[in-house]
Amino acid sequence: MLADCILIVFISICTAFLGEGLTWVMVYRTEKYKKLKAEVEKQSKKLEKQRETETNDRVQKKKLERQEEKLKNNSRDLSLVKMKSMFAIGFAFTALLSMFNSIFDGRVVANLPFVPISFIQGISHRNLPGEDYTHCSFIFLYILCTMSIRQNIQKLLGLAPSRAASKQGTGFFSPPTQLGR
Amino acid sequence: MANHSSKKSKTDDSNNGPSLFSKALIPEYKWQDKDEFLDVIYWMRQILGLLLGIVWGIIPMKGFIGLALFLLVNVAIVYIYYNSFQKVDEEEYGGTSEILKEGLMTSFSSFLVAWIILYSALHSE
Repeated sequence: MLADCILIVFISICTAFLGEGLTWVMVYRTEKYKKLKAEVEKQSKKLEKQRETETNDRVQKKKLERQEEKLKNNSRDLSLVKMKSMFAIGFAFTALLSMFNSIFDGRVVANLPFVPISFIQGISHRNLPGEDYTHCSFIFLYILCTMSIRQNIQKLLGLAPSRAASKQGTGFFSPPTQLGR
Repeated sequence: MANHSSKKSKTDDSNNGPSLFSKALIPEYKWQDKDEFLDVIYWMRQILGLLLGIVWGIIPMKGFIGLALFLLVNVAIVYIYYNSFQKVDEEEYGGTSEILKEGLMTSFSSFLVAWIILYSALHSE
């Protein structure tokens, strides 16, 4: 059981690096991405600063609005650039995942210290025999590992989107129709 | 408690070079860059999640009380760290919830992984 767990952690470390590597090749190293990212970051920081100093001046407000519009367009472009590689990686990973799934099919890889709530049980007890819901399937542990490892790797490598930019994207002023997210 | 949490950030900030980690240890440090402070919170959380997961797995903690207790301890330590040790103005960072949310999901999953692996390695038949 422990060997399986360690193998799964190892697999998710590898796939996280693979994913980041592929994204680097397809997105991060391209000039377009670099330019857009720098632009978005600069603009969101600038906007944040400007919003702190409130003005009632009409001209100022107009200017602010125009900048917000520009930022929105830029961040949409940025996510479009990312989108393509996301799809490619998504396909590659689905294939990999189904391979691992068949290797670990019907195998209990770990015992959960708690009984998951019903809608999680579908994942945590996937393809496992029996009614003991503390049994954990490969996919559940893999998802958890990926959630923690991938983000930490992104953060360590400095590839995670900056806070200012992601805050602007989901900010209160962005209309729900925005494609950018 | 505040001391306790600062120790955590000590270990975790070694990832980010000595400057950030020494800053994290100075009480009431004046943070020039907001992101730096949030990074400290983030890495502190990750280490905390991993440590709590290991402890919960060794004890062994069982059931939903373990999940609830983790969330409580995690949020409390971060709260005490920024409120009593660093004394930052949370409004600058977009409110209490923004700081308390920083890296919580990632920390939670690291915690679960550590807890599940240790629990099933040590305490299951």
